Amino acid sequence: MSSLREELPSQQFNTWIRPLKIDEEAEADRLRLLAPNRFVCDWVCEKFLERITELAKHYQDGPEFSIEVGVGARTAPRTSRPAPSPAAPVRQSHTSNVGANSERPVAPPPAPKPAPSPAPETDSGVEGGLKHKDNLNRGFTFNSFVEGKSNQLGLAAARQVSENPGGAYNPLFIYGGVGLGKTHLMQAVGNALINKNPNAKVIYLHSERFVADMVKALQLNAINDFKRYYRSVDALLIDDIQFFAGKERSQEEFFHTFNSLLEGGQQIILTCDRYPKEINGLEERLKSRFGWGLTVAVEPPELEMRVAILMKKAAQVAVDLPHDAAFFIAQRIRSNVRELEGALKRVIASAHFTGRPIDVELVREALKDLLALQDKQVSIENIQRVVGEYYKIKIGDMLSKRRSRSVARPRQVAMALAKQLTNHSLPEIGDAFGGRDHTTVLHACRKIKELEEEDADIREDLKNLLRSLTT
Amino acid sequence: MSTPQQLSLGVSLKDDATFDNFYAPEGSSNEQVIRALREQVEGAGEHFLYLWGASGVGLTHLLQASCHNAEARRMAVQYLPLRELTGFAPEALLDGLEELDMVCLDGLEAVAGNPAWERALFNLYNALRDAGRLLLVAAPQNPRELNIQLADLRSRLQWGVILKVQPLDDTDKQQALMRRARERGMELNEEVASYIVQRVPRDMNQLFCYLHRLDHASLAEQRKLTIPFVKKTLGL
Repeated sequence: MSSLREELPSQQFNTWIRPLKIDEEAEADRLRLLAPNRFVCDWVCEKFLERITELAKHYQDGPEFSIEVGVGARTAPRTSRPAPSPAAPVRQSHTSNVGANSERPVAPPPAPKPAPSPAPETDSGVEGGLKHKDNLNRGFTFNSFVEGKSNQLGLAAARQVSENPGGAYNPLFIYGGVGLGKTHLMQAVGNALINKNPNAKVIYLHSERFVADMVKALQLNAINDFKRYYRSVDALLIDDIQFFAGKERSQEEFFHTFNSLLEGGQQIILTCDRYPKEINGLEERLKSRFGWGLTVAVEPPELEMRVAILMKKAAQVAVDLPHDAAFFIAQRIRSNVRELEGALKRVIASAHFTGRPIDVELVREALKDLLALQDKQVSIENIQRVVGEYYKIKIGDMLSKRRSRSVARPRQVAMALAKQLTNHSLPEIGDAFGGRDHTTVLHACRKIKELEEEDADIREDLKNLLRSLTT
Repeated sequence: MSTPQQLSLGVSLKDDATFDNFYAPEGSSNEQVIRALREQVEGAGEHFLYLWGASGVGLTHLLQASCHNAEARRMAVQYLPLRELTGFAPEALLDGLEELDMVCLDGLEAVAGNPAWERALFNLYNALRDAGRLLLVAAPQNPRELNIQLADLRSRLQWGVILKVQPLDDTDKQQALMRRARERGMELNEEVASYIVQRVPRDMNQLFCYLHRLDHASLAEQRKLTIPFVKKTLGL
């Protein structure tokens, strides 16, 4: 190995050679190397096997022995690490040096397999795919879900479904942007169903997984097993259904599964990043069926809810997060809950490394790189440009003295946003809008705040603008 | 004489990337980065870390050091320099990697914006997360700035602990250079180190390349590292 290391550039060595493990269970006259996946295995065979064999001969004086490369991740049972599950080595010998081919069946064996047992296992820790696996994350419950205006409809619907699965809300279709809690809601239903009835057969999976499993089933002539498996569940939860777009064969199969489940009164829950009708590349008949049950939207969380999410997350990991610090983070991170959680993790890490308690000062330091980025991104010019484009008016008009409403309103919106999103002083903002007085800015901010409460259109405009400026 | 680019491979071969030979002043944010990396592998930290920073701050070094650290603990790790793998079929390359304990993706920017890669990385992320495995990613920019088109992937990248690796200031660069010289058995005093730092491109990779050249020349000519010698050797 060290010879190869000197011969090869370090990147190549680190990428292809270093991950190889010696299979300690191979017979004595054979040296069996294990590669992490089929692709690395093929690559090593093609490019390096000859040289490895040469080197081995050079260093080994004893009897002849052969070298082969297979696929497998584990060399020996490891007990030192609390890994979730010591998966059995997946063995598959290399047979020929074929190049990259994603269509070929690859290890591990396909997951779907009919679960004949009347009392299916729901152990999510079991790997290998031979047993029924619900894939649910036990942490995603209704209790750990933070409710707010933006998701209360979705939450109410999900609760209803968990109490009355297969009832009127079938399918339940939850849609909204990324990182807003769709998966959490969906899995909360699954977990609630299992809590109520431990024998309930619930399956959660990502739509890409459904497609991959189906492809494997087709290759292995096991499509009937596949069908039987997915049609036998009490509840089928499929995440990010938009990834079905353009995959006709999967849509076809899913269509039949869908009908069969619906007829059988089995619950279906789907999530998507958009409204069913807006999914391009999806068959019309599927789109219309998705709307048969209940369709609910989850919206980006408002400020109070972001604070509540942070407080709850911190409590879950027993970290003391003062309200003003949570408020500081929530004010600055608006895009989605994942980013919010990421920011909190970053803050907790800083507190941990420095041994300091969390306060606004620490938050400011921990997030300074991210916040600097934000300040850089949201400049007054940027706001003027985005608002101008949104209302289809020229920047020149926005900065001019014109007071007609078609110009004045967007100008006020832009001013209000500039106050909200930048650290500029009011006089600076006034200046940037064609040399206006700071009282004009103040007036604009008040006016927009007032309109936000009484005018749904303005509210919608502000929401859209905020989103495009801060994400 | 060889060009610095060619030499850089030699340097990385000779000085194996470890946490010990990564210069991080005590109490600095880079020291926190190293602690976060160690804790990740020890199972005491976050499962997903995202490192970013300008070219030459040592992202590759840190990723490889973390791989070594993980391997020393008998973990199964795969390091993938994405910049060099853009020509491969992502689905095939990333398939089944969730069977490993840890995956390190270096140079994410190289595949950002490529739909097939983004989709494959999205699937890998989900698979690693479901299996409770470790993921370590490096890119020159924060996930917000990186040209990721798939919003689902972007938000997942934002989900982990995101750490910026800071460039060293000139004094620290000088210290880093002196320390690396010492590890190679060279004597480089402060005056000479400062002379070098003030006159060559101050990207750490470049600085180490110059050090490598000096190492060779001083061995060949049996000379100590003095300012006149450095000046002559590096053609300053």
